Amino acid sequence: MNRWRQVAILAKREFATRATSKPFLVTMGLLVLAILAVGPIVSLLAGGEAEATRIGIAGEEPPGIDRALSDQAAVLEIDISIVRFPDGVAAEQAVTDGDVAVALVDGDEIVFHTDVSSRLLALVGGALTNAVKSATLASLGLSADQVTEIIAPVPYDVVTLEEGDPEEDAKRVGAFVGTIALYISILMFGQFVAMGTVEEKQNRVVEVVLARVRPWQVLVGKVIGIGALGLVQLLLLAGAAYVSAQMADLGDIDLAAIGLPIIAGVVFWFVLGYAFYAFLYAAVGSTVSRQEDLQGAMMLPIALILPGYFIALIAAESPDGLVPTVASMLPPWAPFVMPVRIADGAAAPWEIAVAVVGTVAAVVALVWIGSRVYAGALLRTGGRVKMREAWRAAAD
Amino acid sequence: MLQLVDLKKRYGDVVALDGAGFTVERGRILGFLGPNGAGKTTAMRVVFGLVRPDSGSVSWNGGAVGPEERLRFGYMPEERGLYPKMKIRDQLIHFSRLSGLSRQEATEAVDHWLGALGLADRGSAKLEDLSHGNQQRVQLATALAPNPELLILDEPFAGLDPLGVASLTGTLRNLASGGVTIVFSSHQLDLVEDVCEDVAIINEGRVVLSGSLDDIRNRSSKRRLTIDVDGQPWVPPGADATVVDAQGRSHCIVDGDAPIGDLLAAAGAVGTVNTFMFEPPRLTDLFREAVES
Repeated sequence: MNRWRQVAILAKREFATRATSKPFLVTMGLLVLAILAVGPIVSLLAGGEAEATRIGIAGEEPPGIDRALSDQAAVLEIDISIVRFPDGVAAEQAVTDGDVAVALVDGDEIVFHTDVSSRLLALVGGALTNAVKSATLASLGLSADQVTEIIAPVPYDVVTLEEGDPEEDAKRVGAFVGTIALYISILMFGQFVAMGTVEEKQNRVVEVVLARVRPWQVLVGKVIGIGALGLVQLLLLAGAAYVSAQMADLGDIDLAAIGLPIIAGVVFWFVLGYAFYAFLYAAVGSTVSRQEDLQGAMMLPIALILPGYFIALIAAESPDGLVPTVASMLPPWAPFVMPVRIADGAAAPWEIAVAVVGTVAAVVALVWIGSRVYAGALLRTGGRVKMREAWRAAAD
Repeated sequence: MLQLVDLKKRYGDVVALDGAGFTVERGRILGFLGPNGAGKTTAMRVVFGLVRPDSGSVSWNGGAVGPEERLRFGYMPEERGLYPKMKIRDQLIHFSRLSGLSRQEATEAVDHWLGALGLADRGSAKLEDLSHGNQQRVQLATALAPNPELLILDEPFAGLDPLGVASLTGTLRNLASGGVTIVFSSHQLDLVEDVCEDVAIINEGRVVLSGSLDDIRNRSSKRRLTIDVDGQPWVPPGADATVVDAQGRSHCIVDGDAPIGDLLAAAGAVGTVNTFMFEPPRLTDLFREAVES
């Protein structure tokens, strides 16, 4: 009988028993619903921002301040609405409450809550100056047209030397969410592999299985079956995220188009990262005999995964830093760090090639090492088997 | 025909197998006996490649045993174990397919054995919801469903009630008459005597006695003497391994060439001889002799 057919049968059992379990289905359903809800919520929040900036006015005010404010707002391209308060105390309270962004009190005090916004200062301060000067000019006998001509803003062009990316924030957030999804998925499905391995040992079913197939087949079948489930989950969630992004209305920014390469990256690096860690998880899982002992054994893969996650966070800030650059090419961390650097456009093609080839090579080595530890430890029950003993026992 | 030849296996200082070997012909049932720790389980595991011997060989119908051959063997390990949360029918189909059966063949075989073992209505139950006896039956079905040519069962009777024993005995006899070769280990020697044509007794990693049960019994230089005189046990001089049963008879092992007439006369001189049986030794006697010497 074909060995790979047996592997397929083993993988199918791993997939089916978990995919049809109630907790898995319920969790998946809730997650998909939650992600679908994000898009419309983002649209609502973004819509809130588009409202006019509220400016408070209280006490004595220079004549023509309304006109001066709206002229200045037009120059600064700020959409404003003006609210009047009976006195300075009421206006200050409104600023504190966030009801208005800034208030002009008695024509000589501009009130902010905590931070001074230079844009709003330019708006209110400019308008105040213009209103006061217009009044002065008028009192000097100039006609209204003359005053307007003097006060009218001098036309100028604003030039930026490099074009900013209006989608930069969206890309950054997307890459960040992708890294977390990748991290959680690898951790979660890696642990499933370790738990499944211990379960078979604890139930002693492993002897029934090994009378029919070889240890490497059990190992590969388990990793493929659980990995396929991880991939299905990731694709379902990514699909929900894509639909959700399409529902998000952010004006010019096409979230769905930004999300697609991120989703593709997460899926690709999940396959590599999961493969790397799954064989490690299986090897350490095979060295213990009871679920209670598993936590200790799982310290090794977790100790490798965690730095990868943190370096990925560093890479989001400085994708060209030494640590992120080196880590993005080393097998244990490449799956976490490289996608972040790619999203930032910081990774050179050769660096990506080194990361992919290196990780694939490491996976091949781990299949071999993992199978041997697995074979040596699987039939030994009782206490914890040392990795080295398991390695040697496999030669028996 | 299954042949184990000169198997040796050492774990550090512990010698598990020290040149063990035996042969079972097609369609025969062999009882594999030995005290705890004698090497029975290790020898069985060697057949399935679960333990690699330091030296020695296993052959099936004259050829070497590899993964392909093992798929035609059924195994019930001493450490019982299946997936507790998996439905038993799904589970049996899974294992049958791993043994190389197509989905349809597996389904048919599994349904047949679920029926034959009285589990027809429990197919969709999870293993963990079954009684101990039924779990044992499912374990047996795991070995039987792939229609093996060779069955190796480690302590299949352990934990079964008398009805279960009777039904398993019947099942094994039927399989053997259909050409299946069967090896099983047991500590219930009366049962082995009842079911098996052949035995192999292993002690400290070596097979110390093997062959057809009838041959072994007749070949033995000892005889079992059961006797009571005036309702009292009586022991002839020079007899060993004496046991007195509840009926007040003594059972002792004497040399096979002891003159029966002299024994009977000596007993008759003491009183009235109510029981006098002089017969080949039982398996229990042979076992004790083989293991204690």
